[in-house]
Amino acid sequence: MADVETSRHIEEKAADWVARLDRGPLSEADSAALERWLDGDPRRRGAFLRANALSMMSESGQALGPDFTPQAFATPNPLRHRGMTRRKWLSGAGGAVAASLIALGVSAPAGAITTGLGEVRLVTLEDGSTVMLNSQTSVKVGYTRNERRVHLLYGEAYFTIVSDPHRAFLVEVADARLSASRAGFGVRKLDGLPVDVLVNQGSVALGRVGSPKPLVLGANTRITLPQADGALPVPQLVTGDLVTRELAWREGKIAFEGERLDQAAAQFARYSRTRIEIRDPDLASEPVTGLFSAGDPVGFSRAVAAIFDARVEQQADRVILSRRTNRT
Amino acid sequence: MRGIDRERTRWFLRNILPHEPALRNWLSRRQPVGLEIDDIIQESYAVLADMESVEAIRHPRAYLFQVARSVIVRHVKRARVVPIHAVEDISQFDRADAASSPEQVAIDRDQLGRLAKAIGAMPPKTQQAFVLRRVEGLSQREISTRMAISENTVEKHISRGLRFLGDWFGHGGKAVPETSMEQELEISTLDGGRRNQSTH
Repeated sequence: MADVETSRHIEEKAADWVARLDRGPLSEADSAALERWLDGDPRRRGAFLRANALSMMSESGQALGPDFTPQAFATPNPLRHRGMTRRKWLSGAGGAVAASLIALGVSAPAGAITTGLGEVRLVTLEDGSTVMLNSQTSVKVGYTRNERRVHLLYGEAYFTIVSDPHRAFLVEVADARLSASRAGFGVRKLDGLPVDVLVNQGSVALGRVGSPKPLVLGANTRITLPQADGALPVPQLVTGDLVTRELAWREGKIAFEGERLDQAAAQFARYSRTRIEIRDPDLASEPVTGLFSAGDPVGFSRAVAAIFDARVEQQADRVILSRRTNRT
Repeated sequence: MRGIDRERTRWFLRNILPHEPALRNWLSRRQPVGLEIDDIIQESYAVLADMESVEAIRHPRAYLFQVARSVIVRHVKRARVVPIHAVEDISQFDRADAASSPEQVAIDRDQLGRLAKAIGAMPPKTQQAFVLRRVEGLSQREISTRMAISENTVEKHISRGLRFLGDWFGHGGKAVPETSMEQELEISTLDGGRRNQSTH
């Protein structure tokens, strides 16, 4: 039953049934067989609804008109090019698709996307690129036929960019401009702090008003832009571990490795209204290591208290951490 | 018959299917151990197919994500051993990316363009059958005469074409099914009388 039939198999059967229905009215036997099939695993009804919807959608193909030539939308016929390797054929297909995208002049409506306190949101853009927004972040998306542009107004976002040889992907933040064709990178612009860029995958070109030529940042590099002038500082090479920790927010987590407790506690303020107060200076300087849920400052405080033998006191919007010895 | 009602299908096509790429994306980050994304999607769609009425659904995208979440919760509860990180993941479903997003409108506006591209990327025979059926409006029987293949083979090509569209639209217009070439060969052997064993 459910554990032997794969979803792929169900999908195939559902498409077979819809194709059978498309051929003409079902025989009585077929009709009964379809009923029986649909009465089985519930996933079948879902797959069947989906296949029907795809079929309905393809009916609009009539609007393509008698002059429609599918070849104009694709690569040369792969069967006539047996000498071509599969890889070549696939990459050729990608190029053709991109070209027709230009021809069709697709563009997404411009508009700001903003997240609230503690909210993490993944936005898929029309070309398949994605932007993940951290808590209290705002971006503005402007896609045109010539470029894909996203402006990070404030907060922190992670971009996963799919390549499009005809349209550059640009991220604007403060007076800096990042461009990439295929990359994964995080950009942060928080109040009172310099803009921070962390490249996880691929490479990103960074340009800045007042600096003559862009700087290319490869994977596992980080750059912090001083607010004062337009000069570009030297990027730092960082470890993969650090990248993973810095990007843990995408999973709703905060990772620490030896940060001071007060600095760690301050991080939680980005995700919730609850504030963590640390009453003792020596407790505040204790190093913290671990992976914590960003939305749970109380859980973090309890975990920390257990390790450092501290006391946790919870008030309305505050969690107070203090040394036990202080009480006596 | 369940799931075949044209109004429900139309509603689904307009309001749910465009969000499938985003749902996949979301699920790929939060998929609990032992659950396939496609299983979750099919089961979620089954819930939508079985509903008495969908009129009350104001925000189909948010609703879809919520249904997907409930499907996962159900599975996790059913599993005898609950992996710790599956439980942790579930708490994060509350922050679902369920709000409207820019891609939605673009998909509606450009559906025809995407359909053209999807057809353009189909394996040749399937493409030919699909264009004759959906663009030129020939019946499957007429196509069988035109292409000099059996009606059963035409039906197979239509089925393959639909699955191709499913891969294409479900993954945001990027996916080229890995096996498209082999499928083409497999279908062509049908007419030669050698029927392939089950597809698994």
